[in-house]
Amino acid sequence: MTSTAHAPQTSPTRAFPHRVATRPGRGHRAKRALTGWLFVLPAAAVYTVFVLRPLLSTLWYSLYNWDGISVGSWVGLGNYRRVLTDPQLLSSIGHAFFLILFFTVLPVIGGLLVAALLQEIRIRGLGTLTRTLLFLPQIIPGAAAAVAWVWMFSTNGTVNQLLSAVGLGGLTRSWLGDFDWALPAVGVIGTWLGLGFCTILLMAGIGKIDISIYEAARLDGASFLSTFRYVTVPALRAEIGVCVTVTIIAALASFDIVFMSTQGGPGYATTVPGVLIYQLGFTESRVGLASALAVVLTGLILMVILPIQRFFREK
Amino acid sequence: MDSHHSTPARRARRFAALAGAAVLQTVVACAPPGSGNTATVPTDPVPVNIDLGTDPIELTLYDGAGLKKIDEALIAAFTERHPNVTITPRYDPDEVQAVNAPRVLASENPPDIARIIALPAAVANHQLTALDPWADAYGWNTLPPGQSAMYRVDANGIRGTGPQYTMASGFTVTGLYYNKELANRIGMVEPPTTVAEFEQALASAKTAGLIPIMAGNKSAQVTFLVQMMLNNALGPDAVNGWVFNAPGATLDTPAAVDAAAVVAGWAAKGYFPADTNGTDATAAAGRFAAGEALFYVSGNWDAATLQAKMGENVGFTLPPAPAGSPVLAMSDPVSNFAIPSGSDDKNAAAAFLDFLRSDAGRQVVVDAGFAPSGTGPVPATAPGSLGAQIQAAFDILVAADGQVQFVQNATNGMSGTWLPQVQMLVAGRTTPGEMMAAVQSAYEQDLLR
Repeated sequence: MTSTAHAPQTSPTRAFPHRVATRPGRGHRAKRALTGWLFVLPAAAVYTVFVLRPLLSTLWYSLYNWDGISVGSWVGLGNYRRVLTDPQLLSSIGHAFFLILFFTVLPVIGGLLVAALLQEIRIRGLGTLTRTLLFLPQIIPGAAAAVAWVWMFSTNGTVNQLLSAVGLGGLTRSWLGDFDWALPAVGVIGTWLGLGFCTILLMAGIGKIDISIYEAARLDGASFLSTFRYVTVPALRAEIGVCVTVTIIAALASFDIVFMSTQGGPGYATTVPGVLIYQLGFTESRVGLASALAVVLTGLILMVILPIQRFFREK
Repeated sequence: MDSHHSTPARRARRFAALAGAAVLQTVVACAPPGSGNTATVPTDPVPVNIDLGTDPIELTLYDGAGLKKIDEALIAAFTERHPNVTITPRYDPDEVQAVNAPRVLASENPPDIARIIALPAAVANHQLTALDPWADAYGWNTLPPGQSAMYRVDANGIRGTGPQYTMASGFTVTGLYYNKELANRIGMVEPPTTVAEFEQALASAKTAGLIPIMAGNKSAQVTFLVQMMLNNALGPDAVNGWVFNAPGATLDTPAAVDAAAVVAGWAAKGYFPADTNGTDATAAAGRFAAGEALFYVSGNWDAATLQAKMGENVGFTLPPAPAGSPVLAMSDPVSNFAIPSGSDDKNAAAAFLDFLRSDAGRQVVVDAGFAPSGTGPVPATAPGSLGAQIQAAFDILVAADGQVQFVQNATNGMSGTWLPQVQMLVAGRTTPGEMMAAVQSAYEQDLLR
């Protein structure tokens, strides 16, 4: 830190700016606080109506057996007991965690490598085209991407055509209809969507790194890999934290990609909590059970995200 | 900092806590969810009048968007007969309509005519009008028992008995489409009528290197075959009773397991396409039309597409039955129209329902590619067309009172159970016994038995 260097220049009053500003008295201070709250009010009202209230309603519904129309009956924690013991509901949570590999690990590692490579290219004055192409998936809605990938993964689709073309015809299959391969195949869609996002975010981070550090490293004879290891990655800690957080939430709360590509099938091979919540709540009219699963999912996401947030914030 | 003064930060925290508590209270202090719903209160009965008079009457109709064509043709034919009536249709995408219907019925201004899929729930919530007074006035008691059963729910939520609540705009009918050219190639002169003939044709097709049965099992189409075998094994009353939630109904019986085992055997012999679990219904119809398979198990909703693509080369036959047994097929309402309790003009709405079984109404439905409601002369179709074959088959089915409900419709959650189960069945990931036990268990859970 540089605080000691600046200390002699700091006057006593500037050390306590708060006290100086509030000197005129409590009335003024209260007025300022009130003004602050008035600014916050519109956003707070919207947040309360559209986020807090539904959240609390979900908690409330989860304690009832309710079809969404008639009067619900109190079941206490019965729905939660069901969520935590039903093997199908539990396996859907397992699938969501498996998807983290494809939604988070691969895009973040891939994004880091691509961003670092593009950094090299930038130095040589290239890269805008690459950047645009990589970011393109990000502007396509997940549902549309899933539909396109359904075609590519089909028996006569692009994926199998490519495999056949390189002599791997023996591997071709209906990827989304295969019990063992459907979940990884769904994961690949997530990787494709997430890679562009991570790359752009990490590139923005790299842009903040002083280019002279890279030049110094090169003068010292550092290879691409050691520059990557000792300059790029440590400097991107905060950006990696954001990537990991956002993509883990996308994995655990995944809905659109799975719903549009497999609807949880074949069998129960790709069921995820998001799809089950939709099915339970809207097609089966079991609003209470769906709410309980949603609350458990929210809790799980917080349990995973909060330690990650702390880890990436620490210096 | 003076300790007795609250800082803005501390006050902010206190304010947030208070606001949070207030929100929690507004949510938590209220009665169980749904108790404020006025639409669940029964309404007073309306005096029956089958004369619509000449004063202008405005009705609204609510249905799935996939049925827009048939509904608009029906509305046009009806309003031609009753020029003082206007019917404004409103559509949601088909899946959305099924999900939205309970909420639309519970709204301030519900439609006068609405397609109902989850019939027992709507009746239990007092959202529909009991139609018995109009049934007496219009003589709906002459409907075939198999059709009439689809319109009834009793006080315990059991379908098939109790007051009438709905009338079908028309019917679906399921069976086997076959490719005539491929049939010739394997020496199948006539379509199979018995299960033995059917299995023989499947074996010949396999030997000839053809796909015997096209099935888009990503959309659960193998369930049709499982149910065809179930219908034969258990009989229409047992299967309909199960779908109608009759007390004690079960599909977890040795006969049902044997029926499912027949289909599992076909899968093991490679009678379905290898990628059946990755093929949806639309793709399956396309591949059958392109000549990939001998049979395609589906319903009359695919007739127009197949006729257009295959011309003379496609035939339709009802599901095979054991030798000497009556013919049975899944056949249920295209739109099961009910009159919501909140309708403004129930008499006019009932007149529309009655029109559905008139000769004019039946012809409209047949022209749209579906099977007609009620009974009467077989409506005209182009001779020799696929449509004519399907109408003839449907006529035989109704004469035999062999309409069986789809097992996927037994509860709101049932299609979500059959889909993964039949996918596992064809992949050998479950046994017929395990499948029927899982289906029955989900059924009982859904019905809280």
